Amino acid sequence: MSEQKAIFEARGIEKAFPGVMALKGVNMTLMPGSIHALLGENGAGKSTLIKVITGVHLPSAGTLLLDGTETQFSSPRDAIAKGIGVVHQERNLFPRFSVAENIHLEQLAAGYLKPINYSALNEGARPWLEALDLDIDPATPVSELSVARMQLVEIAKALSLQSRVLLLDEPTASLTSSETERLFTILRRLRDGGTSLVFVSHKLEEVQEICDRVTVLRDGANACESRSMDGIGRHDLVQMMIGRAEGAAAWRHRDTTGQPEVLGLSDVSTSLGHKGVNLSVRKGEIVGLYGLVGAGRTELAKAIMGKFKVTAGKVQVNGKAVTIPNVASAIHDHGLGYISEDRKSEGLILQHSVLANAGVPIWRKLAGRFGALRDKRIHDAVLPYLQKLEVKTPSLNQTVANLSGGNQQKISVAKWLAAGVQFLIVDEPSVGIDIKTKAYLHELLRELADAGTAILVISSDMPEMIALADRIVVMDDYHITGEVTNSGVYDDISHAIMGLIHDAEEDSGAVVPLKEISV
Amino acid sequence: MIQISRLSRTDWFGPLLATLIAITVIQGFNDNFLSPFNIQILLLAIAVNALVAFSQMIIIAIGQMNLSVGAIGGLAAISFVGAMEVWGLPAPLAVILALVIGVGCGVLNGALIRITGISAFVITLATLSIFKGINLGITEAQPFYGVPDSVKSFGAALLVGPIPWLAVPTVLVTVAMWFMLRRMPVGRFILAVGSNEHAAGLSGISVGATVIIAHAVSGLLAAIAGVLVVARLQIGQPSIGDDWLILSFAAPVIGGAILAGGHVSVTATLLGVVIVAIITQALVLFSIDPFLVQVVLGAMILAAVGLNKLRARQPVGKGSA
Amino acid sequence: MTIQDINSPPGATGGLSRTRFFLSNEFGLILLIIVFAVIFGLSARGFLSPFNLFTLGRNSAINIMIGLSMMTVIVTGGLNLAVGAMGVSAAMVCGWLIEGLGVPWPLAILGGLAFGAALGFINGWMVVRTGLHSFIITLATMSIFFGAMIFLTRAEAFRDLPAAFSAFGKMKFANYLSPLLLVTLAVAVALAWLYRATLTGREMLAAGASPAAAELSGIRVDRMVILCHMLSGGLAGLAALMLVARNGAAIPSMAGQLGQDWLLPAFLGPVLGGTLLQGGKVSVLGTVLGAFLVTMLSSGLLMLQVGAFWVQTFLGLMLLVAVLLDKARRSYLARRNLA
Repeated sequence: MSEQKAIFEARGIEKAFPGVMALKGVNMTLMPGSIHALLGENGAGKSTLIKVITGVHLPSAGTLLLDGTETQFSSPRDAIAKGIGVVHQERNLFPRFSVAENIHLEQLAAGYLKPINYSALNEGARPWLEALDLDIDPATPVSELSVARMQLVEIAKALSLQSRVLLLDEPTASLTSSETERLFTILRRLRDGGTSLVFVSHKLEEVQEICDRVTVLRDGANACESRSMDGIGRHDLVQMMIGRAEGAAAWRHRDTTGQPEVLGLSDVSTSLGHKGVNLSVRKGEIVGLYGLVGAGRTELAKAIMGKFKVTAGKVQVNGKAVTIPNVASAIHDHGLGYISEDRKSEGLILQHSVLANAGVPIWRKLAGRFGALRDKRIHDAVLPYLQKLEVKTPSLNQTVANLSGGNQQKISVAKWLAAGVQFLIVDEPSVGIDIKTKAYLHELLRELADAGTAILVISSDMPEMIALADRIVVMDDYHITGEVTNSGVYDDISHAIMGLIHDAEEDSGAVVPLKEISV
Repeated sequence: MIQISRLSRTDWFGPLLATLIAITVIQGFNDNFLSPFNIQILLLAIAVNALVAFSQMIIIAIGQMNLSVGAIGGLAAISFVGAMEVWGLPAPLAVILALVIGVGCGVLNGALIRITGISAFVITLATLSIFKGINLGITEAQPFYGVPDSVKSFGAALLVGPIPWLAVPTVLVTVAMWFMLRRMPVGRFILAVGSNEHAAGLSGISVGATVIIAHAVSGLLAAIAGVLVVARLQIGQPSIGDDWLILSFAAPVIGGAILAGGHVSVTATLLGVVIVAIITQALVLFSIDPFLVQVVLGAMILAAVGLNKLRARQPVGKGSA
Repeated sequence: MTIQDINSPPGATGGLSRTRFFLSNEFGLILLIIVFAVIFGLSARGFLSPFNLFTLGRNSAINIMIGLSMMTVIVTGGLNLAVGAMGVSAAMVCGWLIEGLGVPWPLAILGGLAFGAALGFINGWMVVRTGLHSFIITLATMSIFFGAMIFLTRAEAFRDLPAAFSAFGKMKFANYLSPLLLVTLAVAVALAWLYRATLTGREMLAAGASPAAAELSGIRVDRMVILCHMLSGGLAGLAALMLVARNGAAIPSMAGQLGQDWLLPAFLGPVLGGTLLQGGKVSVLGTVLGAFLVTMLSSGLLMLQVGAFWVQTFLGLMLLVAVLLDKARRSYLARRNLA
């Protein structure tokens, strides 16, 4: 392979944002006929690099080379026109348009008034669909396709634009394992046809299965630069990503068997489709809820919080059966709290100040006569927690939107510390924060649990789950498929968990995952 | 069964059913309803209102709203008559002038929205006031009476049977709109931008140009509607267009248009206009207080948006927000 | 950027906040008001006469109230196109209570305000239950409320109101101050207190800024939205009652066809005043100043013999210029990293 010429090269790419150096001179070389993994933890600079390569951001320094000649992408359009295709995590299709029209919209852009010949359009789309083994009528509206097929249509669209480099951003996040296998077959075929693919994922098993080369980013720099996957094991990848050996170092055995149960679900069904869910979290215990994206974990959390209806079964708080009519009641009457995975739209009120955000759950407690609420009292109540979490902000009046991801996450945790809840659900705690903050957060959650708070951690990040949880409950397709007591030994536990997910899939046949409920 | 559920999913089926039921019921109570004279009145109302509805529909298609539809129509109407009365312009030239003004107003709306990035609501509220103010400033709230006979006779003439000549421009516009939104790239771009602006940009569509074109079309249609109203009323009233706002939203919404953009139906919007016209006419026939028309219109908007919401929850609509 | 920084009391960063004040909307509005007052005072004869100041105060009292009524819904990120229809309906109910039922006028006023709030409840409840944007809901209810009101009143005014009404409208303090302005200012102060220093006001702002985050933080977002709409209805009713005091009669057409004449003043005040249309941020002072500036400009332009019919064009242009300036100011602040 080494004698081949690189299709695309990024050299010494730097990207500065106000106050942050996101990329500090990153290199990456893409070869034709190769599947190249791009790895890195959240906050390592992965997404910034993708944005530079696809023309969303202009790099502050460094050069991009296409077939050995220097080039610049003035816009995402420009990058596409030069052969850099990308399939984003979010779908960029028009649901009411046909498959063929979605694939060929580009060609129509030439003239505004020339009538569209739909039969020619459909014929034109067929070869691209066939190339991907997609047996669908090109005239079908995209809205009638499954998520997996929509993704393939996007790949077909990228291919029809003569993309020679194709970036796939977390392509398997919402696919079942059989769908993933089909996707991989197709990707291998594209690779053999000479396309250069970039595979971005945090599922290392998949990376090992399909990629032949790898670039790892850590703290905005290369931890490894476009090297061959030969001889690199899972542990090597992890070590490069986090800069130290992964393992049970952080995990410690915690025994809470004697403690009373804080939250108990028995045979709970919800209006969103959960069936027969049993779950118990004891005082001081950290329970992990593992599952793939779309498995119904976030939805279960919101049902516990009273946002969605529990239609059957029993919810118990401190051993007493309760019905929670709304989120306000969950927080104020039962002492439950929920830290959302979607910090920017559900966790924080971005346009409000640090002080306002940290105080929301305790406003009711602090309000005086006639509902009067004084900043001084809120200030005094939340300051200790903001200090404890070392939130860095110029002042408490600073708009939260202007803080870094890590500090935002600290604030969304601090507000629940200030609220003093007895049970806390933490949904994907480490999305979008750097490694140091992540380690700190983990330690904090353990401390919190040691002090008696019952914690339910939701994560799709297996290492995080195994580092944190005392017990791991696995969810698939809105059912609990089993439970693993954590021993801190990565290989054993990850096998056990994957086993629980695969068994479930075989049981229920081809499971079409419910789309994530957007609320 | 499958056939029915498929039909019920199309936008035009519900409104068509409602139209037929309304016609049958009203005819049952009052034989005069389908008399040639009454049909002529209905068609006159539909001819103008359909243009008003399309003018708003095309903006709903790109996921925006246009509060200034009525103000543009009014300005075009008084310019049309004013040009003939004050400057002595021949009618065809005056029509062209009015249409150019309509397109100009639309382009201004689109360009302001696009360049400033400020919401269409605020921009068109401001231009509504500007256009209406210019209208009042020119006319000082007094009507122009100088409508030439040729225009008057066009407004009153019948084509065949009860079908008025006034309906001809509307029929042409309806066909053109259908063709544009179904078969022409520009129509598809408008729907694409309304559905997902970001993705449209990535697919090589010039979002700015598309938004401006949609507003230009909206202005053009409002202007045509204004000219037709002048022909029908035989007078250039400055108040033309004042009562278009509610109607312009009612018909597209009854026709299943999604206010977030990306989905409108020409046929169903036309049926929406028909339903509104029939019910308005029925209230007159049964000598029910005409003031109640407003209440009925409002209630119909609420019922329609409620139904659209329910329809969107059906499984197949999934994924298309 | 150290941890110690967060110990400093709120607002202690003096230099920064002073710059911020000079770049604020409120400061800009005050400057504009002064500039135009000087221009009109010098060029328009009689602009500063006690009578004109009295009318100006009385008209701005009503316009400010209309702006505040819209502002309370903009807080939720919504709109209320039905302000005019609701206001007039509330005033007509008050008139009917007095003339039709013989209810004493103070009670009738309360009845009118309660009716406005009830109409607001209908709007808010429907917005919450259907999950649709308030634009389309209030567009429909504007038509329904106004149509029903005209139907029930047969489009006739209530003219035999107690003398107390028109006396209040004509009353002058110190020769030029209308008590209506005092009512409006009292309401504005109450609203400022609500948003700044009460649980309900804070929860309204949080619910408007980010409904999802607010709900997951324990705020009853639905209730807050309904409450905001009720407040808007009540204030719209108050504005219409002030109009009744000015006119001496409750007239169905006092806000124009469907109440649409109120729409422009309703948006001008809050938008000029820097209230975010996306919700969650509010400036009561800005709304007051904005609505006052608009009223002053209309009055001054009329006195300068600019054709009365052109005033509407000027107001439209002003809205346009105001949003453009606001946008420029915000992007400047963002670049300076002050906001």
